[in-house]
Order: sequence, then structure tokens, then C-alpha cells
Amino acid sequence: MSHELPYIAAIDEAIRLEMERDETVIYFGQNMATTENAPFRQQFGNDRVRVTPISETAEIGMAVGAALAGYRPVVELYMAEFMLVAMDQVVNEGPRFRAMSGGQVKVPLVLKAGWGFTAGWAGQHTGTLTNMFMGIPGLKVVSPSTAADAKGLMASAIRDDNPVVYFHNYLLTLDHGEVPDGEYLVPLGVADVRREGSDVTIVANAHMLNQSLKAAETLAGEGIQAEVIDPRTYAPLDVDTILESVGKTGRLVLVDSAPRHSAASNVIAGEVVERGFDLLKAPIVQVTALDATVPYSEPLEAYVIPDADRVAAAVRGVLGTAPVGA
Amino acid sequence: MTPSPLDNDRLVWMYTQMVRIREFEERVKRTFEEHPGVIRGHTHLADGVEASIVGSVANMQPGDYVLTTYRCHGYPIALGTDTKAIMAEIYGRATGICKGLGGSMHLCDPSRGFLGTSGIVGQGIPHATGAAYAAQIRGEGQVVLCFFGDGASKQGAFHESLNIAALWKLPIVYVMENNGYNVETQTHQEDANAAAGEDLSVKAKAYSMPGVTIDGGDPVAVYETVGAAMERARRGEGPTLIESKVYRLSAHGNLIAPPGVPLHYPEHEAIAVFGDREQYEAALKGDPVPQFRGRLVNDGVMTNEQAEEILKAARDEMQEAVTFGVESPFPENDEALAYVYA
Amino acid sequence: MTADDARRLLRTMWRIRHFEERVGRLKRTDEVFGLIHLSVGQEGVAAATCLQLRDDDAVYSGHRAHGHALAKGALLPRVMAELMGRETGVCRGMGGSMHLVDVEHGFLGATGVVGGNIPMALGSALAARRLGGDTVAVVFFGDGAVQAGHFNETVNLAALWGLPLIMVCENNGFAEFTPRSAHTVVERVSDVVSPYGIVRETVDGNDVLAVWERFGAFLARARAGEGPFLLECLTVRLRGHYEGDPAAYREAIADEEWQKMDPILRLQRHALAQGWVDEDEPAAIEAEAAEEVEAAVAFGRESAFPPPELVAELVYAGSDA
Repeated sequence: MSHELPYIAAIDEAIRLEMERDETVIYFGQNMATTENAPFRQQFGNDRVRVTPISETAEIGMAVGAALAGYRPVVELYMAEFMLVAMDQVVNEGPRFRAMSGGQVKVPLVLKAGWGFTAGWAGQHTGTLTNMFMGIPGLKVVSPSTAADAKGLMASAIRDDNPVVYFHNYLLTLDHGEVPDGEYLVPLGVADVRREGSDVTIVANAHMLNQSLKAAETLAGEGIQAEVIDPRTYAPLDVDTILESVGKTGRLVLVDSAPRHSAASNVIAGEVVERGFDLLKAPIVQVTALDATVPYSEPLEAYVIPDADRVAAAVRGVLGTAPVGA
Repeated sequence: MTPSPLDNDRLVWMYTQMVRIREFEERVKRTFEEHPGVIRGHTHLADGVEASIVGSVANMQPGDYVLTTYRCHGYPIALGTDTKAIMAEIYGRATGICKGLGGSMHLCDPSRGFLGTSGIVGQGIPHATGAAYAAQIRGEGQVVLCFFGDGASKQGAFHESLNIAALWKLPIVYVMENNGYNVETQTHQEDANAAAGEDLSVKAKAYSMPGVTIDGGDPVAVYETVGAAMERARRGEGPTLIESKVYRLSAHGNLIAPPGVPLHYPEHEAIAVFGDREQYEAALKGDPVPQFRGRLVNDGVMTNEQAEEILKAARDEMQEAVTFGVESPFPENDEALAYVYA
Repeated sequence: MTADDARRLLRTMWRIRHFEERVGRLKRTDEVFGLIHLSVGQEGVAAATCLQLRDDDAVYSGHRAHGHALAKGALLPRVMAELMGRETGVCRGMGGSMHLVDVEHGFLGATGVVGGNIPMALGSALAARRLGGDTVAVVFFGDGAVQAGHFNETVNLAALWGLPLIMVCENNGFAEFTPRSAHTVVERVSDVVSPYGIVRETVDGNDVLAVWERFGAFLARARAGEGPFLLECLTVRLRGHYEGDPAAYREAIADEEWQKMDPILRLQRHALAQGWVDEDEPAAIEAEAAEEVEAAVAFGRESAFPPPELVAELVYAGSDA
């Protein structure tokens, strides 16, 4: 059984269910639960749900400490960029503790971080930071693209015994989707084949996934069957599913809204070239944002960030075909 | 309101822990000459700070937590962690308390409430604050001791954490061990309060939190002040900032040199950087370990013979720790990947 | 304050008021993009401080920056064009509402991350001291920024080094959507800096005369080599945190009550009572401001969007040489 929910509400549903299931799950952050009527505070009380000041270092650092002391904190960060204010805590504290203690402690926490508000939010609130965090040993990174995954990945992130950065894409906030009822877990580290195809493999996530699926529809009309894969988790990264697909299609287009030289697609390309060079019939193509701070002005924002047209063009380039009507 | 009075046994216990810490640190220092290359990286010693450490943790009850800085050898010693496992950790051996993966700066013994350290100045303060939040919602009367240096009070993490702790009335006691130096910068060079000749505990005012300054060289004063603050925290009345004035008798850390060159402890910054031998010698005269010994002997709490026995036992223990560490094996390669994810 | 000062203040505040209200309407028709924070009701602070500054004094602001930029001298049509994403904007359409910069008039910048501007202003104050003149640095921030670590890091260094920094906190009682009481037990921002012995005052930010006088006194001392200072201005944010915020977390202020508090109307009443302005002068000033804002919208609409080549040109300094 399932029900329809917007992406953002599916996240809330997962947090609520996990808080009902496990008393050690706590939830805090800026601007949440400021009144007694706030839904989470009403249900779980002021002990487990708290509003914090604008103090990212303390918020994330406290999550580390509460995790060391046996709790499973979820920190509401709203904007992924706010993690940059507390970079030490995200990168150099939480994920290090288990390893440095020789496995004596664990640090289960979730950093809930919205990202990619490419709707005129300009330079400081529109970044794609996946790659910045996916290479930190001990830190898991997830990024759901559908309402169902939003729920299932949040539940798994909360139950995971490690620090997890949970990215949710702001452009998908109100996208509706079918969400399974009750307990629903999507395992971390497993990619999802969103569309099957035989001619080319496209790897994309979140808003870029939607753009890629749109491109795949256009390409189908041109007789090109694209297989579209959503990694869903960036650390640990499911390279096997991508390799398997490339084994079938022989061609790979990686789509990423991060700047070209800090995109997760760089890492995927490296893995595929090293482990699957013989499978490739053509060079890998990366469709990324330009290496620039996202501009405010609407036409330039569109110029910097990839879209379905650019994905389709890249696929045609890889296959050496021309668009219909050209 | 005040912690339970110290009986003679407890006073002797405190002295014993101070001597054990001192002797441990001495052996760490000597390791650089006796076993060159055995200690890698950066090591920070707490000789001179024993009274502050022991006086504080003597108040801990089962279930309480402590989190500290990277100058962290003393706390687990006082808490009862096997010194063999600590020394082996500093030597990077498989038998270390963290299996050789943490080293000197990252000791951790959750079985005794020692939740760990941060190697980055000030960044352990929010961890301790988070543990206090956990303690508060668990509701079993746990209290957290959070140790950091004077330098950390200029970190944003300090400001953000103390504000939240006061706002939420968290059960935590912040013990700022002010040793007068931030590596080789003197506190008045980097702290507006110190420059104005004020105690650093005045910073508590910004959070509507009680702040007190004490002589960290007097273990009984430390015990009483920290104990009262812990009692207050346990009653749900919120956090306290305590500035414990101490003097570390060794330099900030061992000399950092490229591999192959023997590492050792340079002279204290008072002499090496500021040429102020008088300051250092005054500190030596006030060394809390012999001071406390003299006081206990004078007060008839302990005899000189007892003190010698304590010293001998500590020396034997630390010799054993060194031998154990040197003879222990290194961890296997696969250990490097064993703890990436829980 | 002279009659002339009062006129300049009224003109500036009306320009900001009309600018902000017009931007609010443009947002509803998507002629400005993204996240927009308006300062309607807080014009008094921007005007009473910035009008006393010179172009070589550095001013920093945060996400609610339009008023500060305009008061500091940024050309109104160019600020409007920036918000409309046009090439004629102060940042050539690249920055937008949260990232206004106008170096020519000493508006060194706004930042969209709460408190990020405070240490930057400290840097300008350090530069001012090193350069040896009598320039100062001024930073505007809200009470929410005070709980961020970099606020405290800045306060310690500013006090230690005695830098010519004037921190102006616009305390509107809300940090984004959260009341101050949920952020700290310390009632006044000026209490937070009390351990550092910083010269500080809390004033009614809707009382333009008071802000003018206190800020002027701090400014004179900063120019003479003293510092740092903190001026806490208690203000009211009439609109939500951002345009579109339903602001369900607080009660709206009654219109009647606001008439009494409105910094513009208060100064107008005072100026009339003092005989500084004629009966019909305020209305003329307001009408002129409204016209100016309309002309700016037309200017923005006529301006082109920036060319794509600008993106690459601005990535590194030196590439436009």
C-alpha cells in the first residue's frame, strides 16, 4: 500500500516514524519547533525536538557529542551551504571519531541539508556540494530524487550507525510521488535504474535526474534508448550497477549540477575508466555546470546549469547522431 | 551544596593520581631519547596540570562523561584506564586503548565515561555540550566535564556552545585550563580580557552563566569548585564556566622534525621564545605535585615514606607501561579499514 | 541635527520605503528573482548611520541589505536593475538581492550567510588602521548573528586591537523565524559584548534622532582612533523574514500602533514641530522618492540581461585585463 506525498513531506514522514520507533532519535536545528504547536514538538516534546540559535558549529558538534552519548540526532540545516560554516565538525570531527578510537565509539547522526536552489538564490545558496563530502572516510552521503526515496533513505540514514549527510534537492520540494506506507527503508549504497535502455547510460541525480529522464524521452523519439541511473547514495558509491549498465550500452554520459571540476561525476568517470575501460565504445562525456559561481540573473543561471537539452545533445554526440529535424 | 569532604584516603588517592600522571608524562618525554622514533606525530604533555585534572575528575560519578582536548593523557590515567594501554596507544601499537589508530591526541575510553577528544582547538566544546544534551534528556542525573584551554575560548565553538548550554540549562561544567600560552603566544597577546588584566572567567557574563577563576595548582580548591558546579548542574540549574589557572611545565608539544631526526621536547616557550627564565622558575617552585606532597605530609595525612612508596609504585608502573608498549606489535594492515564505518 | 540633515534623512528613508515596497510587488510578478528580504520599517537605522559616513568608509551588510546600500549612496536605478538581474545593476546582474556590492560608494558588500560579514568588516577596520587615515568600518547584522561563533571571534580581536569598527546590530527580535528568547537567555545584544569592555549602547532604532546622535558620537570617536563600538538598535521588521513568508510565528503589529512607531512619520512630525520643513514638504519628498523608484523600474526593464561571456570573465580576477 502506498500514498501520495510531496518529496518534502515524505522526509518528515520518515523522521516521524523513526522518532516513534526509537526514543533515541532527536531532532534539532534553526527555526524549527519555535512554538508549542510545531508538529514535531507537539508530538515528541521539547526534549527531543529543539530550536537552536544560528550556531552551526555548535549544532553539528552537539550532534556528534549526543551521538557519542548514545543518541541518534538529526540536525535540520535547511541549506547545505550552512555546513560550510562548520566544516571542521562535518569533515574533521564526526567522521573521524570511530576510526581514531579504534572502533570503540560510533557516531550515528544525520545532517539534513537542502541544496541546489537554482531559482535566483544566487551564489551562496545554489551549490551542489556532493563531491565535497563524498570523499570523507566514515561519512555517508545520500541524495534522494523521488518522494519514495526521500522517505526510505531518511529512515535508513537515521538507523545507520554513521554520520550521514542527507541532501534534499530544493527544486524537488513539492514534487509529488507514491510513497510506501509505514516502515520503508531504501538501503544506503544501492543505485536505482530509473529507465532501462540499450544505447547509452546516463547517470544523474535529483533535478538533473528529472532533466535526464526528460532528455531520454526526447531521445526515444529519435530511436535512442537511454538507460538512466540514479546513484541515490554517493558514499558508499554503487559503481557496480553503473558498470553493469555500461557493459550493456558501451556509452556513458554523466550529468551533474556541480561545477565541472568539483563534480561527483569526476569520481564516477575515474572508477568506470579504471574498471571498465574495455566496455566503453566511446569516451565518457560529463555534462556539468560551468566552473563558475552560480549567477543571480535568470538567463545566466540557465547558462551555467545543465538542462535536458544539453543532456540530449551530449548523448547524440556520444552516439554520433543528429537531432530529429536537424 | 558542596561536594563530599575529602577524607585522608581520598587525599592520598588524589596525590597518587597526580604522581602517576607526572611519572607517565616523564616517561613519554624520555621515550624520545630512550626509544627514538617510537613516538610519531605530535604529543602534548600535562605535567604541571595534574592538580587541575585530578581535582576535577575526582568528582565524577558513574555515568558522568568527560571530553577533553588533545592534551589528554592525564584524564584517563586518573579515571583508571590501564597505563599500559595508554602508552601502547601513544606508541601506535595494536594493544593501545584505540588499537593504535588514535595516538597521543585521540585517547578515548568510553567504558570510563571518557568520550574522547578533538585535535582541533575548541572543537570538542560542542561535543561535550551535545553529550550534556543527551544527559539532560536521558534524565539520569549525568553530568559532563568539558576541558579546554584558554586559546579555545577565542573559537566560535566556545561562544555558540556556552550560549546554548545556558539557554537549555544543560548539565555541564566547562573547565578552561588557562596555562597562559596558546602554543607560543601569550594569552594577553590574543585575548582582550587577558590584555585588560581580567580573569578569563569574565567571559561567562556574556551567557548569563556563573564564572569563577581558581588556582588550578591546588587540587583541593579545584575539587571543591568543580564539585560544587557539578552538583549545581546535577540539580538542573545549568552550566558553569571555571577558569583553572595552571602552568604546563613542558613546552606546548614535542619538536616537529622530518622523519629520521630524533624528536624531543624543546624548552618551555617562556624561555625559548620570551627569554623569561624567571617566569618559568617561579612556576617550577610552585609545582603542584611537590606542593601537595608537602601539604599532606605537614597535615599528617601522609608520611614521607608513604609518598616515596607512591612514587616508586608509579615509576614501576610506568616502566612496565613503556616495556609493554615497546614490545607490543603494530596493528595489522586490515585494521586501517576496519573502522571506517560502524 | 540640522534642518538639512532632517531633509536628507526623510528623502533617504522614503526612497528606501518605496524601493522596498515596489520590490515586494515585483517579486510577486517574478520580475525580481530568488530570495528577497525587505527592510520596511527599519529605514531609520540605515539612514541615520550611513548618511554620516563617507565613500571611503567601508560598510558591510547581510541578507537584508537594500536599505543600507541605498543609504550609503548606491545609485537607486542600479540597485533596482541588479535585483532585476540586468547588466546595468551594481553587480552586473551577478549578485542579486543578497549580494549587493558597490565599491565606488564604499558599500563593500552584503553576504547571504548570517554573520559572515562581521569578520570581513574587522578586516576593513584593520586595513583602515594600517592605512593611517580616519576611515572606519561599519557592519550591520541582526540579533540572530550574535549567537554565531564568528561574532565572538570578531569582538575579541576588535577589542584586543582597538580597531575603528562600529558594529550596528538591528535587533528586530526575530532571528529569521525564531524569537530571540529561543536563541539565548541574554536579553540585550549589548550584554553579550559586555565582558570585552566594548563601548556600547542600546537605542530605539525607530527614533532617528537618537540613532543619529549616538552613531554620530561613536563615529567621531572612531575617526579619532578609538574603537570598537556596538550600537544596538531595537527595530521592528514589518514584513516576514522573506517575501512570501506567511509569518505565522508572530502577531502582526496593529496599524495604529505602527503609525506611532514608524521612523519616517516620527521624524516628519519632529521636523514639522521644529519648523525644519514646511507643511507640504514631506509629501513632496515622498512623491519624489516614489517617482524615482518608478523610473528605476523602467530603467531596469529597459536594460539588457548580462551576456553569457560575463560568467567566464568573472571567475578569476585578472582575466578581464
